[in-house]
Amino acid sequence: MKRRPIRDDFEREALPHLSALYGAALRMTRDPKDAEDLVQEALLRAYRFFDTFEAGTNCKAWLFRILTNVFCNQYREREREHVVMTEAESSAANLEQFLSGAADGRDSETALLGRMVSADVEKALAAVPPDFRLAVVLADLEDFSYKEIAEIMDCPAGTVMSRLYRGRKILQGLLYDYAVEQGIITPGNPERVPGPSDGDGRTLDLDAFRRQKRGEEV
Amino acid sequence: MNCAETTSTVQAYIDGELDGVDRESVERHLVGCPGCSRRVHVQTRFRAAVRVHLHRPELPFTLRRRIEETLASQPIAPRRWPTWMSLPRLVPAAAAVFLIVAITGTVRRSHSMVLDQAESMFSRQLPGMPMDVTGSDCGSISSWFRGRLEFPVHAPALGGGATCQGGRLVNVGERPAAYIVYRVSDGHRVTFLVFDPRDQPIESRDRRIVNGREIYLGTGPGISTAAYHDRGLGYVVTADYDEDTLTQLLTTSFGR
Repeated sequence: MKRRPIRDDFEREALPHLSALYGAALRMTRDPKDAEDLVQEALLRAYRFFDTFEAGTNCKAWLFRILTNVFCNQYREREREHVVMTEAESSAANLEQFLSGAADGRDSETALLGRMVSADVEKALAAVPPDFRLAVVLADLEDFSYKEIAEIMDCPAGTVMSRLYRGRKILQGLLYDYAVEQGIITPGNPERVPGPSDGDGRTLDLDAFRRQKRGEEV
Repeated sequence: MNCAETTSTVQAYIDGELDGVDRESVERHLVGCPGCSRRVHVQTRFRAAVRVHLHRPELPFTLRRRIEETLASQPIAPRRWPTWMSLPRLVPAAAAVFLIVAITGTVRRSHSMVLDQAESMFSRQLPGMPMDVTGSDCGSISSWFRGRLEFPVHAPALGGGATCQGGRLVNVGERPAAYIVYRVSDGHRVTFLVFDPRDQPIESRDRRIVNGREIYLGTGPGISTAAYHDRGLGYVVTADYDEDTLTQLLTTSFGR
């Protein structure tokens, strides 16, 4: 019987995901030194528990799950939430209104999206509270599915959807605020436009969707 | 599907999480509803814009190295046994092997495991294998292993303008070993696996005597392997040469 050293297997499976892990770690810790320590600790743990990894399954998701675990246990308590979420979420509502209320909707949208700069997006993402930020990073930057994110973050798929929804909303609200501050756009009509574009009651709708999905699975 | 129902599924729709029927019903609604269709458009554009701006940061040069060093310094990780090797199956299997050995004397192998391992490392893992230490000076490569292994490693001198390229720690059986990679001036590669041969016997049907020393030869597709003992250590040399050229290389090496 041929037995190949486990370190070779580990390096072949795990090390190709190093950049992705570091990218996520940097966005979770917001500090390059902490991000390096986090990745190193996560990989060391993964190596020690490599015998529990089922060959042929998704190694990237398995590694991200360990990374998230280490982050929650060791770095999470240092986190300070920089924004009051309700504030950012109300900015997001202003943004929706700005985009959908104005007659020149498409021009406003282009003004906002087209003049967005990377530094601002990075700054806005860093200000999103950790759980929501992580959901956004996993879905929008690493292309994990809801199911994979649920496994990585150890929560139900419905929670993933609401974290993702709120994370994106906060992110968009912050970007809108920056754009207004920088005079890139002028706030639109303050009159609230009721209708389906209003995000209120979304959590209830999500629950309904979750129930619906569960119903289908049964 | 009405607007309220669509609202709750827009995100899942944009994220590609809806399958057949659900997706179709959202799409049917979008066709006739400018409000919802605009939401989808804006959210899709936002998602794309965020993606464009959030680049994956560059991996710090030192991190990969740091991780490889950390892994190298670890005690040997638990080996992943195939599932058929569970204890209840293993015990009777071991008993059966013992019985066979007791009856027949010894189990003859035509080729020792370490030769298989060296061939597999050379052909399958060497391209793209990260090195723990790199450099063309064989002396520095040898000294890198000092303190990392329980035996001294001397990268053997090779003729033909061969220079060292790098080295890394590997396992042979349950014990750590040194793997040293050379490049010969004609573009061929030669690797040396230096290991503790206590529980890794070297044997093969093809045995030759080179400069008074016994060497055991093996061949794989496009490569040859030669194994020998020297001062209590085991060596397996693998190269993309034929057996005769490899033997010639060793003759030169032993003469040095």
